[in-house]
Amino acid sequence: MNKKIKQSLAIVTAAALAFGLGSVSTASAATKTFSIAYQGPLSGGEASTGIDEQNAVKYAAKLFMAANKGYTIKVVSVDDQGDPAVASTVAPGIGANKNILGVVGPAYSGATIASLPYYKAGGLALISPSATRVSLTDPTSPDFGGPVFHRVVGKDDLQGPALAKYATAGVSNAKVFVFDDQSAYAVPLRGFVEAGLKKVAGATLVGGDSVPNTTTDFSPTVAKIKTSGATVVIYTGYYSQAAVFIKQLRDSGSTAVFAGGDGVFNQEFPKLAGAAAEGSKVTGVGGLAGISAKLEADFKKKMGVSSGVYSVEAFDAANIFLSGIKAGKTTRAAMLKYVNAYSGKSISGNTIKFNKNGDISYGLFAGFTSKNGVLVNTGIVK
Amino acid sequence: MKIRNYWNLRDWGAGIWERANRPKRIAIALTSIFLVGLLPFAGASFLATPIAAYDAVLVYPVGIFVLMALGLNIVVGKSGMLDLGYVAFFAIGAYTMALMGTHTGLNTWEIMPFGIGFAMLAGVLLGLPTLRLRGDYLAIVTLGFGEIVRLVVLNSSWSKGPNGIANVPMPPDIGPLKFKLDDQKVFFWVVVTMILLTIWMIRRLSVRRPGRAWEAIRQDEDAAELMGVPTLKYKIWSFTLGAAVGGAAGVLYASKNLFIAPEMFTLNVSILILSCVVFGGIGNIWGVVVGATILGYLPDRIRFISDARLLVFGTVLVVVMNFRPDGLLPRKKREKAIVKKEVNA
Amino acid sequence: MFSVLIDQFWSLTIAGIALGFIYVLISLGYTMVYGVLRMINFANSEIFMWGTFGTVVTNRDIFHYTQTSEPAHGFKLALVLITSLLMSMLVAGLTAVFVEFVAYRRLRMKGTNRLATLISAIGISIALQEVMRLLTSSRPVGSPRVLEKIILTEVWGANIRLDTVITIIAAAIIFFILERFIKLSRMGKAIRAVSQNEDAAKLMGVNLNRVITTTFLVGGLATGAAGFFYITVFEYTKFNIGFTMGMAAFTAAVLGGIGNIRGAFFGGLTLGLLEVYASAILGTQWKAVTVFIVLVLVLLFKPNGLFGEAVQTTRA
Repeated sequence: MNKKIKQSLAIVTAAALAFGLGSVSTASAATKTFSIAYQGPLSGGEASTGIDEQNAVKYAAKLFMAANKGYTIKVVSVDDQGDPAVASTVAPGIGANKNILGVVGPAYSGATIASLPYYKAGGLALISPSATRVSLTDPTSPDFGGPVFHRVVGKDDLQGPALAKYATAGVSNAKVFVFDDQSAYAVPLRGFVEAGLKKVAGATLVGGDSVPNTTTDFSPTVAKIKTSGATVVIYTGYYSQAAVFIKQLRDSGSTAVFAGGDGVFNQEFPKLAGAAAEGSKVTGVGGLAGISAKLEADFKKKMGVSSGVYSVEAFDAANIFLSGIKAGKTTRAAMLKYVNAYSGKSISGNTIKFNKNGDISYGLFAGFTSKNGVLVNTGIVK
Repeated sequence: MKIRNYWNLRDWGAGIWERANRPKRIAIALTSIFLVGLLPFAGASFLATPIAAYDAVLVYPVGIFVLMALGLNIVVGKSGMLDLGYVAFFAIGAYTMALMGTHTGLNTWEIMPFGIGFAMLAGVLLGLPTLRLRGDYLAIVTLGFGEIVRLVVLNSSWSKGPNGIANVPMPPDIGPLKFKLDDQKVFFWVVVTMILLTIWMIRRLSVRRPGRAWEAIRQDEDAAELMGVPTLKYKIWSFTLGAAVGGAAGVLYASKNLFIAPEMFTLNVSILILSCVVFGGIGNIWGVVVGATILGYLPDRIRFISDARLLVFGTVLVVVMNFRPDGLLPRKKREKAIVKKEVNA
Repeated sequence: MFSVLIDQFWSLTIAGIALGFIYVLISLGYTMVYGVLRMINFANSEIFMWGTFGTVVTNRDIFHYTQTSEPAHGFKLALVLITSLLMSMLVAGLTAVFVEFVAYRRLRMKGTNRLATLISAIGISIALQEVMRLLTSSRPVGSPRVLEKIILTEVWGANIRLDTVITIIAAAIIFFILERFIKLSRMGKAIRAVSQNEDAAKLMGVNLNRVITTTFLVGGLATGAAGFFYITVFEYTKFNIGFTMGMAAFTAAVLGGIGNIRGAFFGGLTLGLLEVYASAILGTQWKAVTVFIVLVLVLLFKPNGLFGEAVQTTRA
């Protein structure tokens, strides 16, 4: 063999060994160490959602460890980038890793559907803080996640009508224009908003559009809104596009009411949109700050950042697993049984109890209105 | 053996192969196939992937990437056409599997010919009008085609739009080999079989008329045309064969993944597969296999550096291309295109 | 179906032209490099994205504007706008030179295959995007409103807004300056010479490296200017905006005939208008499909783009 080849082989081997050393970390199964996983987007375009949720899970683990000496809780980060293709490569690993007792997540519905077969095979309990697609808990749908899938968030068919109602409140004979961002989250939600509008007295649907979520030029949509004479505009996509859109809508001189769903619900929305966001109506779930300022301050002290959207849900979900661990449910089967029968208080004061499809009984969405650059909670939409 | 300014694993490997006689060659081939088949059992070694399941990573991305890269290599490597929309054929195969699998009750192997057929049909339909275009124009037209397929699927109701199709059936068991979700060895062996079939097909074609025609087209299309090579015909052939492999990969992917959605078929996939081809060594089957294996495997292997992993990936591409521009395992020197400076296009 | 187009024709047209001019400037980045190297500068979309951050940083960190501050007026307005324009151009220009240096130079010197260079450019564009993603923690970044979007006048039912007018006029001026630079200046002549015949240009004493670096720089400056206008109109950026805009601009360049500077001009405008009209008629979800179908049709009947690749006098 040539000398140079030998040298290169040596280098390759050395590099391979270095890689191997880099990953020595796993299972030192001490008696009181338990693992739960968080699955969601931790890198890529959606990373901020996942990082916020994971912080809430870590916060719950921190509180638990402080209150229960002798327990060590490991939060395994499972980064699916919010992308079903990535989810189906990471999910088999989590499904097969028997150290993991439960998963908080997946954060997104598409990634959930892609991951489900592996978790069903592994009998691993899931509690999602933010996957709202209706079909996930519909036993007649191919997407059905039972018995492993649970969620501590209201689903789209609760939110859609709530959003329709909240958006049109105080507008008589509302002419409504609904559009989505073509994502797997926004399109179904738009359907439920449109269905919900039929039940709002006096409201008519005057038009719609579907705008790819990479678009920043909304002028055709604005033109459609002006032509349709809409007085209420509902967007079912995410906050960053909503901020770009609302500026363009206001700059065009339109004064139509703007409303969005929980994708728009993010305190970054009024910050990004500035004055244009004033008066916008958003439905969403209140974060930790919505529950008590003290809790938020403690979160910030312990985690170094503010809590984000879905922090309450992620916190609740983690606490269900943690209370299971405390109750001695240290196998997957026991944990799944425990979660299915769980009944306890959410930090928001509601009672968490899953029905046979994995849904909770509450899940009322709160209405928020943008005032002076902040989304202000105006109470649950009834 | 003379080695010039850089070490050349390709010539080294080819040297061993050429010096071997027939029984020796068969022995080498069988041993390699056997060793590759054992790969899924190496999960506990330094090869293990930190988060993703090792055996699943071997199937997708690694196995499927290798398969697709081989298919794309027919188009880009053999006949020199830059195709940036290869994902379209992958998507067509996957959607054929998902739709037929959930509606007709046929199993994966019965749907496979349909998936390949539809992909080939798409290849011919796209190829006929566009393959007259050259170079970068062809690149952007194929890119557009890839995006059109994705957008049509995204905007249509028969494909369930952005929601995607769940509950795609798994392949039926092959004798004692059972397809399982928590242990994907059998999937891996199926991919390896498909890869071997593809390699066999390419090797057969390369030494026959189509291979020589592609070689001529790649080196100088005008000259080839003048010498009587029906260039359009062979270009469409190459395009369609590439499409067939992509379609087959798509069928298998849908059947393995059990769920597909339009967001899995973005331009990024085309670019990634093209990177695999060029990174490994364009035009050389073994280079392509190595390139696709590394690029499929690396992002999952380096998950421990989680946040910067794509940054590392991008940097690796730049560094490797700068120092080994013909890829890790370049094609034989005599096959390299004559570098001709186009003056006025 | 057509009611929107008829009702809002002039609004749409103005928006389309403004968007078109942004495309014109980005596609200059593609066309210039293509003209000289016969290669797609795949990283141009990320150069654009970095350019947009030049303006945001200037507004936010140099002039300390926040989302709640009042828009600027008079001399201050001009100062802020010009500084941020120059800053965007500078950032994008430097990024472009960096891309040339890291991803292109070595490969070009070796005279090796185009695909390796393409992959190298793809690699650097992934890296550039990822660096920005890490710097901004994946979050979208809003730019404070510096230029008040006053409605100047109303023409045929369409509002003529200050920002659109400034974008159209300034982008046209920048385009004109660049076009003159390439046509008349010594360096411009060298660029054209290299684009027509590299070997002959070298024999005539043209310093190839300098010419190519300059080409990247000029393309980067144009792309950076586009970044500035993008922020002025949309006041928003994110690490992943480059791809969509870059793709559109690249399509525009091909539509007009890549390598042809005037082609980029008409290609960009055509694409901007095509996008808004198609969105209005068919729905925004079909925008990209329409654009690509039109592109394929144009290429089938005019394989070198609408204005041809081989216009020697205007080619970069």
